[in-house]
Amino acid sequence: MVNVLVRSLDIVLPLLVAFSIAAIVLLTIGENPVEILTLMATEAFGNVRRFAATLSASTPLLFTAVATAICFRSGVFNVGVDGAFVLGGLAAIFIAFKLPASLGAGLIPLAFIAAAVTGGFWLWLPGVLLAKYEADEVVSTLMLNFIAAGISGYLVNGPLLSPQSGNNVTPLIHETAELERLMPPSTLHAGFIIGLLCIIAYWIWCRNTPSGFEGAVVGQNPRFARAVGISVPAIIILVMVFSGVIAGFGGASHGLGQMHRFSDGFSPGYGFTGMAVALLARNHPIGILFGAVLFGALASAGTTIQLFSNIPLDLVNIIQGTVMIFAVIEAARLMKNRRRQTHAV
Amino acid sequence: MQFEHLIASAIMLTTPILLAAMGGLINRRAGIVNIGLEAKMLAGAFVAVIVSSATGSWIIASLAAALAGAAIGWLFSLSITRAGANMIVAGLGLNILVAGVLGFILSWVYRSSGTLRLPDVALLPKILPSGLEFVPLVGPALAMLDPLTLLAWMTTGALPFVLASTRIGLWIRATGNASEMARSVGLQHLTIQDFTTACAGFFSGLAGAHLALVSLGLFNEGLTSGRGFIALAAFYFGRDRPITTAFACMLFGALEAAQIRLQLEGLPPKLIGTLPYVMVLIALVVVSIQAQRKSST
Repeated sequence: MVNVLVRSLDIVLPLLVAFSIAAIVLLTIGENPVEILTLMATEAFGNVRRFAATLSASTPLLFTAVATAICFRSGVFNVGVDGAFVLGGLAAIFIAFKLPASLGAGLIPLAFIAAAVTGGFWLWLPGVLLAKYEADEVVSTLMLNFIAAGISGYLVNGPLLSPQSGNNVTPLIHETAELERLMPPSTLHAGFIIGLLCIIAYWIWCRNTPSGFEGAVVGQNPRFARAVGISVPAIIILVMVFSGVIAGFGGASHGLGQMHRFSDGFSPGYGFTGMAVALLARNHPIGILFGAVLFGALASAGTTIQLFSNIPLDLVNIIQGTVMIFAVIEAARLMKNRRRQTHAV
Repeated sequence: MQFEHLIASAIMLTTPILLAAMGGLINRRAGIVNIGLEAKMLAGAFVAVIVSSATGSWIIASLAAALAGAAIGWLFSLSITRAGANMIVAGLGLNILVAGVLGFILSWVYRSSGTLRLPDVALLPKILPSGLEFVPLVGPALAMLDPLTLLAWMTTGALPFVLASTRIGLWIRATGNASEMARSVGLQHLTIQDFTTACAGFFSGLAGAHLALVSLGLFNEGLTSGRGFIALAAFYFGRDRPITTAFACMLFGALEAAQIRLQLEGLPPKLIGTLPYVMVLIALVVVSIQAQRKSST
């Protein structure tokens, strides 16, 4: 019972703190926090059109959160989802404008395969480095994010630059390769459904497959895992590749459904917002769905709030950063047991 | 651009990376990997511009920037040492949070999106007489020398001694290498970790002050552009040793200075910009393989 209470506190506390800080910020600038937060809620969920906008904003987060959770639950500290998302998206978009339009809707699966291969390979690399050489995955994946940004920035300014437009963009993809809009005029597209399928696949993998079970064991106790004959290096590489594939799918969905071309700023940190979602959800699939919708709501309502009441969109970043920090604070530790020492990563 | 000027700009661009790297290095020696250097650097730059404009003094501005960085670092440290937060996630969260707070203040208080220009910002002075410019090779670099660059290199020079031969250096190393033992001999190892994280914040704040006050005298949301992570790359590359880390910083600073030149030669700047990260990746693999060999023999 106490355990359940503490665990729910773990989920509620970060949100509570984050929204309290947002409220304090709003009070400081002389706004009524209740009013603004209610306005935001109405903007995010008030009617079908707005709800569609929220779901649209949450679509990339479904993928990046699942991609993060796959690794985190096995104790693999992969912070490189953003890079895999970007390069996967670029690969998908490349296929979708480069191959002949006559392939029609067949371009879509091809683009997703290209994205999956790219994303999967991208995170396979730090996976192997960790599994074979024990090279710290935090550093390697962090560095790979910057390298991915550099490579994509180079490609869209050089070889893949659209001949028709100025800087930093590829040509538009063929119309046949665009993912269907689910509720026009909103930008909600079929990628949302693919994201839901990824969450379901993740759930099934966690609960019903041997490798999913082994992944959880490795996360909880690697020494025990080794003792019972689980190959820890194999699991590490597997979860990294899975993570890259899902992140790549996310990039493909964002590219074919939302952007229709690649430009600088393709991902405004979706990988990191996805991490906040996964942390808040404690890697649980249902939690990920709700967390992604919550952050999607913040993003879409934040934009409107900025337009209508002049409150800077940065409020959303304040909330997100606070959620991340407090999601990893051990609430239980705060209340008791202050003498226990911190463990190095 | 002549070679002399290339050296001068390389040295100028090395300073912020070096300051932040030295702070991060001390922090890591005590067992904390500081992913939040970028945030403290950005906050330092912001504070430096405001204080410099208000007081007209680069000294007070730099000090304020350093203290702001130290305060953020200390709070950040408490979340790790006292509340058990994972240092990587908390660091990434801090970067987002601080960028959000600064962006919010920027657009709410100063009604500006992205850039803060204030009147009468006092820039960092040049400490040596400008006549030195005509000294061959290092002339322009000497003439451009600013106090924070001097401080950065003095810190780099003093740090090996401080870490190796002073009491506080020993405490820091003991905390990082054998926290159990440090605790058993009565060291307040959490307090030492907090102190080093505040140090990292202090130096990152100074790094931010240097970025803002060395030539432009303004703040921009993209001012740090990942230099906190380059600094992280530098002390990983230098394996937490001050001198080797300083070499890495110089290399990265030179690379940045050369970037404009290489661009003229037709090399893509975006790809050159990734070189520090690629080098760290390679260094990481080499170090890990060596460590494995050592432990298997």
